[in-house]
Parts: sequence; C-alpha cells; structure tokens
Amino acid sequence: MSFIQLKHVYKKYDKTDKYAVTDFNLEIKEKEFIAFVGPSGCGKSTTLRMIAGFEEISGGELYIDGKKMNEIAPMDRGISMVFQNYALYPHMTVEKNISYGLKNMKVPENEIKEKVDWAVKVLGLEEYRTRKPKNLSGGQRQRVALGRAIVKNQKVFLMDEPLSNLDAKLRVSMRNEISRLHRELGSTTIYVTHDQVEAMTMADRIVIMKDGVVQQTGEPMELYEHPCNLFVAGFIGSPQMNFYDVRVEKDGLTFADGKKVRLPEAMSQKLQPYPHLIMGIRGEDMKFDSQNLDIYADTKQQSVIENTEIMGNENNLYFAFGGITTVARVSKYEVSQTGDAVEFVMLPHKMHFFEPETERAINLEAN
Amino acid sequence: MLTKKQKRNNWILTVVLLVLSLFFLFPVIWMLANSFKPDAAITEDMNSLAAFVPPALNGNFFENYIKILTDTSFVRYMLNTLFYAAVLIVLGIVVNGLAGYALAKIKFPFRERWLMIIMLLMIVPMETIITIHFLFIAKLGLLNTVIGYILPMVVNPFNIFLFRQVFVSLPDDVYEAAQLDHCSPLKYFFTMVLPMSKSVVATVSVFTFLNVWNDYLWPSLVFTSGDLLTAQIGLNAITSNDNTTLGQKLAVITMVTIPVIIIYSLFSRQIVEGVVSTGSKEG
Repeated sequence: MSFIQLKHVYKKYDKTDKYAVTDFNLEIKEKEFIAFVGPSGCGKSTTLRMIAGFEEISGGELYIDGKKMNEIAPMDRGISMVFQNYALYPHMTVEKNISYGLKNMKVPENEIKEKVDWAVKVLGLEEYRTRKPKNLSGGQRQRVALGRAIVKNQKVFLMDEPLSNLDAKLRVSMRNEISRLHRELGSTTIYVTHDQVEAMTMADRIVIMKDGVVQQTGEPMELYEHPCNLFVAGFIGSPQMNFYDVRVEKDGLTFADGKKVRLPEAMSQKLQPYPHLIMGIRGEDMKFDSQNLDIYADTKQQSVIENTEIMGNENNLYFAFGGITTVARVSKYEVSQTGDAVEFVMLPHKMHFFEPETERAINLEAN
Repeated sequence: MLTKKQKRNNWILTVVLLVLSLFFLFPVIWMLANSFKPDAAITEDMNSLAAFVPPALNGNFFENYIKILTDTSFVRYMLNTLFYAAVLIVLGIVVNGLAGYALAKIKFPFRERWLMIIMLLMIVPMETIITIHFLFIAKLGLLNTVIGYILPMVVNPFNIFLFRQVFVSLPDDVYEAAQLDHCSPLKYFFTMVLPMSKSVVATVSVFTFLNVWNDYLWPSLVFTSGDLLTAQIGLNAITSNDNTTLGQKLAVITMVTIPVIIIYSLFSRQIVEGVVSTGSKEG
C-alpha cells in the first residue's frame, strides 16, 4: 500500500495566472527514497513544501499514512525536514538545536539525552556538541540539520536541496551519509535536488519535473535507458545526450550535414512512419574501438576531434558530426588528441528517437 | 599605507576633534568639579581655571551629595524612574516587537498601508498629542497612577519600525524548522526571534531607558503625588528650591546625568546601529 499519495495536486499562487504545479500524481511506498528533480522553477520545491504544509494546496489531495493532510498543520503531519540553508537556530548550541523539537514534544529528559547522544554519534558531531552554528563548517551544519530531523523519529523525511551549499567533495560524502541514514532509519524520504547525479545515486525512484508538470517517474536506470521525452533524455546523464535532426530513409538515417548511417532492417522499418525525427544517443554509446568498429560497421563514421576533456577515469571527446558538436565518452585508455582524425560507430540499439513536434519518445519495442 | 598627506590630514582632524570635544565637555567638567565644592569656593574659583578642578579630598568632599541623598527624596525618584524604565523596556519590547514582527512576517490585508501609517506617526511629536493622552488617562481615572504613566508610553512607532526593519531580514526557513519542532508562534517570537535580534533589542532598550530617564513633560502632567515622581521632576523641584545651594544643585544634576553618560558610553554602538538601520535597511 502506498504511504504517501498525491492525487491531482495543483498549486497556483495568488496574483498569477500560471500554475506552479499542475496535476501532480504520485504514490510513494513506505521506506522508499524518492527524488524530485528538475531545473530551477520546475515546481519540485513547491511540491515538497505542499507536502510539508508550508504551502497551501490549491487543488487535489495529499494523503500521508492514509490520512488526508490538506488542512493539517505542518507539525502534525509526522514529517521532519532538512532545509537548503540548514535553518539552524543560530543562538543555540548543536546539542540544543537537535534537542529543541524533542523538548517541545515533551519527551522525557533522559530520553532526549539518549537520542541526542545517538544522533551526535551517528553524525560524527561529538566534539562539536557545545558549539554554535556560526562556529561550524557547512558540512557540520548540514549534519546538525540532519540530526535535528532524525531524532524526532518521524515517518517522513523531506529534504530540500540539502547539499547544494556544499563543495563537490563534501557533497559526495554527505550523499553517502544520507543514503546510509535512510537505510538505517527506514524513513520514507522525499529528496529535492536540481542535481541529476544526486537523484541517480541516491533515489529508489526519481520524479522528473518541468514547468510544474511531472515528465516521468521511474527507477534511475529506467529513466536513463528509457526516457519518455526529449526533456528527460537531455536532463538525465552527463555529458548530455547528443540530439540530431534526422531524416528517415529506407535503410537508415540521414543527418543534417548529409552523413548517413545504415540501421538494421527491422529498426528502419519501424521508423518508416516518421519521415523526420530527433535521434538521441549518449556519449558512451559511441564506440571507437576496433571490435565495435567491425561489429557495427554499418554505422561507421569519421570526424576530427575538436576538443578533449580529460576526466581521469574517462575522457570526453568533442567533434563535429550530424550538424552539431557531438560529445563521446571513452575510457581513459582511449586517448585522442585535438586534431586527431577518428572513426567511430553508433550502437543502433542504444539510439533513442523522439517526435519533433511532441518531443515524445518513440517506443520501437512496442511497435 | 597612508601617504604623508593623509597622515598630516589625520593629525589635523584629530586635533580639531579634540578641541571640539573639549569645548563640549567643559560644562560637564565644570559641573562635576563644582558639585563637590561649597558655594563660597564655587564663587571664589569662578573666574579662574580652578573652576574646572575638584577640591582636595577631605571629610566634606561628598557633603553636597550626602545632603541631597539624606534631605530630599531624590533616591526615591531615581529608583522610581529606574522601575518605570525597566517596566517600559520589557513591555515595549513585547508590544512593539510583536507589532514589528507582524508587519515584517505575517501576511494580512493592507499590511503595507499599516506600516505607512505607523511610519507617519513617527513624525508626530509627543507634545502635540500629550493633551489627548492626558484627557484619556484622566477619563480612565488613572491620573497619578503608575499604569496611567506607563500606558501611553508603551507603544512607540519608532521602535515598531526599528523591530520591523530587523525582523524582515530573518530567514523564513528558521520559522518553518521551528514549526516542525512543535514551536508555537508566540514561543517562536520569544525563544527565537528576540534572541536572534539581540542587537535591536539592546537598541530599543537603550532608547526606551533614555526616553524615560529624560522625560519631564508627561510625568509632570500625570503625577501629583511625591511618591511616584521621576528623577527629572525631582531635579526640577530640588533645583528650584531656594534653600538648595548651588553645589547641591550641581550634585543633583550630576546624579541625573551620570546614568545617561554610562548608557551612552556602554551602548554607543547600538544607538548608532538603531539610527542607521531605520534609514538604510530594507527587506
């Protein structure tokens, strides 16, 4: 049974005609880790704030644990929340920040002490117990905010871009810490982020939003492998998927720059109803090694490397192809220099096709 | 690094400011020095630099002060004023603070208009509405009572505005976090908003204290009983009494001035901040 349910939820602010969130439907299972992801202004934080009770729901229904929550005050919804800017109480020590909610909830003193001891231990804050937030680093502050959320034993955890103020290295370690906490505590978690890497690495399921509308909901690899539209395909994955305007021919595709690739016959036939398409392919699905060049010789192409990005574990190669600057992701052993002439193939079964007008993905398997 | 010219200018500025401050300090030094002298000595020293030098420490050094403290009710008046100031500081912070918070953070119809009206009230001098206050308090039968004195002094548009300007910049997510921590709005105000705004609380306290301490007109209208009088009225009564010597008068004036000087020197930062924040901050 679903634990949190959002049924046709809408949000419209006063004095505006536009909906910030439109017809949001989602069922979240108990103990699930859900990430809301999307660009700025897509409505993900607004949705989270409606779940928290900080924003009124303009239309639709919200249920938590079977109980309708639309009119229930935030404190009575059984949630804890971690805020983007930590929202710590600046005049209170770490210990007091963590215990404040418990004191207000009239939890017995010895139980409060036990819980605070546990939280500071779990989060590695033992030596900072008596410090005030201004004397803590960003990572430590975020941990205090987490501590404040976990001691209350609430069933639902809401996190609003909790790592966006941290540096890249700290973000990775905090990501692990939050995942570990989620596993240990088993709370249902809704995590808002604009960072698709965070969503991919942490969530059981991801909800991708754009302009207040849910684009696709699914497990990380499902979204990665089977994006339902052009937006999702472009949003998930780094570097971004390459998109080409192509003309469908009898035996393959013709690109904007006149280059052609042959496709397997069955695939070509399924594409015949669509004369013009957008073809998308991820950087790692373009291969430069001799084995793949042999196997997929029909899609073999040539180009000249314009730029390379050495990432350490892998390299990104940039070159002109199909009327756009294409990026390919290769292993660190396949080093090419700027100016090198290269041959590559595109894996046909890894190609994604989208209708240009609706931007919807064409499901070749279903046809 | 300062250039030679800048250094020279700094020196000139320092000297000018020093001379100016001495000019302003002379009356205070004169008052202080002569408050320890008998009248004969004051007259004798009047035309020499000795007028600015206190007498040698001897058995009679504090005589003027002792006389004032034992023969008049001045201690009582000072304690009264301290009590009124304390009550008005506490009430002022609560009432004006809550009003400032509402204007800063709570959405209600015509909020900006209300703020405008309160700002307009700041330019109305107390003297122009004091008759209305008096009639009001008289109608309520509160003349010559502590409540009658305090009631019209609690609400202060300047302090409301001061609080509002500071509260408007408090982060909203702290309030949201407190809500999830089962903190009621009032509790949030007292346990979060006020401690997070110590500086403005200090500023308002200082302004309130100075207002009450220096106020003459309102207490002179409300109070008739000697038991309730304030320091300023006491000062006037004592200095206008023909039996009080000049030295004693200066001793009373010194006693009234000292708390103000202490407050200014301890809280000059808050006083400046208070004035600055009403002018430049906008949320």
